[in-house]
Amino acid sequence: MLKLGNVEFRSRLILGTGKFSDTETMLKAIEASGTELVTVALRRFNREKPGDDLCAPLAKLKNVRLMPNTSGAMNAKEAVRAAQLGRELSGSPFVKVEIHPNPHHLMPDAIETWLAAKELAADGFIVLPYIPADPVLAKKLEDVGCAAVMPLGAAIGSGGGLSMAEMIRLIIRDSNIPVIVDAGLRAPSEAARAMEMGCDAVLVNSAIAAAKDPVAMARAFALGVETGYAARQAGLMPKSDVAVATSPLTSFLKQDGSV
Amino acid sequence: MQTLPDWLNPEPWLNTCVTAADVEQALGAESPDESTLAALLAPAAADFLEPMAARAQALTRRHFGRTIQLYVPLYLSSWCSGGCAYCGFASDRQTDRHALEFDAVEKELSAIKAMGFEEVLLLTGERSAEADLDYLRECVRLVALRFHNVAIEVFPMAEEEYRSLAEAGCTGVTLYQETYHPETYDRMHRWGPKKDFVQRLDAPSRALAGGLRFAGLGALLGLADPRYDMLALYRHVRHLQKTHWQAGLTVSFPRIRHEAGGFVPPHPVDEKMLAQIIFAFRICLPDVPLVLSTREGAAFRDGMAGIGVNKMSIASKTTVGGYGSAGSKEGQFDVSDDRGLDEFCAMLRAKQLEPVFKNWDGVYRLT
Repeated sequence: MLKLGNVEFRSRLILGTGKFSDTETMLKAIEASGTELVTVALRRFNREKPGDDLCAPLAKLKNVRLMPNTSGAMNAKEAVRAAQLGRELSGSPFVKVEIHPNPHHLMPDAIETWLAAKELAADGFIVLPYIPADPVLAKKLEDVGCAAVMPLGAAIGSGGGLSMAEMIRLIIRDSNIPVIVDAGLRAPSEAARAMEMGCDAVLVNSAIAAAKDPVAMARAFALGVETGYAARQAGLMPKSDVAVATSPLTSFLKQDGSV
Repeated sequence: MQTLPDWLNPEPWLNTCVTAADVEQALGAESPDESTLAALLAPAAADFLEPMAARAQALTRRHFGRTIQLYVPLYLSSWCSGGCAYCGFASDRQTDRHALEFDAVEKELSAIKAMGFEEVLLLTGERSAEADLDYLRECVRLVALRFHNVAIEVFPMAEEEYRSLAEAGCTGVTLYQETYHPETYDRMHRWGPKKDFVQRLDAPSRALAGGLRFAGLGALLGLADPRYDMLALYRHVRHLQKTHWQAGLTVSFPRIRHEAGGFVPPHPVDEKMLAQIIFAFRICLPDVPLVLSTREGAAFRDGMAGIGVNKMSIASKTTVGGYGSAGSKEGQFDVSDDRGLDEFCAMLRAKQLEPVFKNWDGVYRLT
């Protein structure tokens, strides 16, 4: 089971809710994915116009928890305020801290994210920060009480896949909290690869919402995550470039144990 | 003659001869730059509209999903001290002029709110006694009380003035250079403060320095050679991305056709050229929102929605007091797409595009 804060999840796939053509497709994709946790931007909460509101239809889903995110915040102060408003409106203790001060490339701000995460964790939130794939930052976020870290596989919406694989590997190696690859994935095979590497979950939005058939793609990602996780559990065979039938390099060593 | 900034001059890219092979290469460019844009704007690229559209659509979907962000303009005042040769509100035009009183602004806002909009663009003419900074600041404050996003399309200001508007709740500025060609600019702007080319050119930069988060740029297509203007516009965007890295920039493509006063544009841009320009911008600035207003007709807008364009206005009135209160009859320009909001949203949904009214939150405004 994936454990985030004090909550356990069977599904290791988390869905983003932006970029869909309509609410109905989004809800069908969520159902097809089997996810139990979805993130929704506070900026897409709209209590005044029901048809434009993403929060209410998601809140009605059974077995799916909401995780408001702070997308749109430029700094820690704004993110904290957005998180508090998100908690008040959604009733969820989860928050995805997402601070990208450049609204074009949307790269996360490591410094402001750490500041916000620290404050929100102290305030009782279950904090999942979206971060650059930086192993040092990941440990520092663990130290201030984050429930997981969410390094990017590649830029948001880029479909660049696991271009940060080596850094993510280091994050996984040293982490005591779940590591969730967030952003950049394009294909279910990449989700499988992330799980095989030892990620605890993946978060996907664009790859599903911008697919030709979002609902079918949501199902495909569920299968990819499941496959990768099962493979990880089964233990992958070690990889080697060279055949090792004989030992020509070490045959000079005394074989009889004498000193 | 004023000293122009180094980043402005796009001449070097206009002098190259673009072949079909150059266009193909530009379409496959890994890191599109201004030479890519020059190739895609060239006459040779007119034969590549379909592959350009396909590339633009894929990029739009990747960065903005299947959504169209909506906003609505609110004309506050038709008073103007400017002498723009092409504008129905220029100070020498005989037109019935109005500026909304604050209670009339409230009425307009109620009508707009009832439609569901969350992003309002406030418009005035050049600075006038009837619509000055104090007037505008109070209007901004009234909008900010009820809407998440408040942008202005008004006269260029000093940084401190922009800051006072940001403090009143203003989030963005739209300011078109009209044309980036200094000689044409001088000819088109016959008198008034708008004659100062550089002062206008630097205004978005001052607005961002003053605390506004979003800046919308554009050139009025039809005034000068569109290839020159579009390359300069691209340079302006890139310049601001480097000097104000946190700014949210958008680009609009207003096309001048027949304004009040009988102005005939010297460099008319047809629909195919306009589409070529928008595709080229999407390919070269994949993550910058591209805007298309109701200046364009329904068929063109429907076709462009989601293929390059990801932000649109609808149900727009370009008259002062057009939504709820009594006002003038003559608008700044004729709206070509006069559909209502519901009809427009139904069109978007039929194209599997979601109309998004709220894509930002006032909670981010309080810092």
